[in-house]
Amino acid sequence: LLLRAARPLLAGAGRGTGLGTAFSTAPPPEKKRWLRAYLELQRLQAPPQRRSEKPNWDYHAEIQAFSHRVQENFALDLLKTAFVNPCYIESEEARRRQLGLDKDAVALQLQDNTGLAERGLRFARAYLAQCFEGAYPELPAKGVEALVNFLTGQELVSYVAQNLSIQDLALCRDFPAPPDVLQRTFLAVIGALLESSGPERTGIFVRDFFIPQLIGKDLFEIWEIVNPMGLLLEELTKRNISAPEPRITRQLGVSTVLPVYFVGLYCDKKILAEGPGETLLAAEEEAARVALRKLYGYTENRRPWDYSKPKQGLAAEKAISSN
Amino acid sequence: RYVRQLQRLQLLFSPTAADARGARQFVEEAAQDFARQHPDVVLYVSPHSGPGPAPVLRAEYLNGTVRDELIASKTSEEIVQLATKLANQSGLDIIRIRKPFHTDNPSVQGQWHPLTNKPSILTVRGPRLQ
Repeated sequence: LLLRAARPLLAGAGRGTGLGTAFSTAPPPEKKRWLRAYLELQRLQAPPQRRSEKPNWDYHAEIQAFSHRVQENFALDLLKTAFVNPCYIESEEARRRQLGLDKDAVALQLQDNTGLAERGLRFARAYLAQCFEGAYPELPAKGVEALVNFLTGQELVSYVAQNLSIQDLALCRDFPAPPDVLQRTFLAVIGALLESSGPERTGIFVRDFFIPQLIGKDLFEIWEIVNPMGLLLEELTKRNISAPEPRITRQLGVSTVLPVYFVGLYCDKKILAEGPGETLLAAEEEAARVALRKLYGYTENRRPWDYSKPKQGLAAEKAISSN
Repeated sequence: RYVRQLQRLQLLFSPTAADARGARQFVEEAAQDFARQHPDVVLYVSPHSGPGPAPVLRAEYLNGTVRDELIASKTSEEIVQLATKLANQSGLDIIRIRKPFHTDNPSVQGQWHPLTNKPSILTVRGPRLQ
């Protein structure tokens, strides 16, 4: 929007006579209608710029605001290191070499965030795996691994990072920052928090930002399994229950284009689970999935996640021992 | 945990214009208190000398929305109220809400479907029902 001034402009101030400080470097409002239209088109077609290159940007203040926003105390130098990406250091050194500075000036004094990112990733994975093993003890290792991979995967972490304004603070070569850079930066922030505040607070941080992303998601959307019936047979043999016998419970529209079959799995004539499907095979597979959900305790009507304050000592010892 | 959605507030005003008087009073008296009470919002004060556009309070949110609010001819208290209102908002667009209710769990016992209360084929009918 080009806001029209409420008071008259100076006489002859039509074509930018040093009033460039209005709105900090925006050109002054033009009087000619066609020129205004052209300049507006230019402004809309200009490539997007980093927030740090636009007016009104104070890096130190932004970093302090970030730590307050997330309600955590960071050691600020660790946090600043966490935002520096290796691609940024390379591009800066290349730029300085191009400008013809000698070798001492070319080498930047900045450190990478790769070390912090690795530590953050290891801690996040260990902590989340521990959380899931505590909450769903029946879930096998592969399922826990699938959930942890989903939560620390690129898409989710870069989505969370975008909504916490990390894309403004991260120093990297390309704009807009690619998702793997955002993921690395966010994990480095977690690593920096681990170094500053210790494993307990970092665990609470990881829990508060990652676990709500599981709300509304089904187990088998995240964990792809190929043969649910085979997996169900394995689980039942582990618990010494006989093999399930599939029977059709209900059926609708058998001779039409869209039939619906409800297949129930019975163990020793007691119902285990029931699932719908278009064909008999699909219904049986769905019933096996429902049975697995019930066995692993990941149904839709399970108790919601417990976000209360953890008991002192237990969580910290486990986290330190798993690191 | 609660994350305030307001990232930064930019106060753009002119030091000599008449309608920016409230903005100048806000900067002199209340801006520091506001910044201290909201440590997670970065407050930028940028006076531009000479006549220019009207004084504006620009709010940037975490999801990228930028909202401009005119503060011409407003008193310092009104600007404080406006700033707190912006600080408590999220960056979602202000549009008409279609319905005043929403639920993530529309059904507690399971949604009804035509086969809910029908007996299954396997149910054995007792002698009385025949």
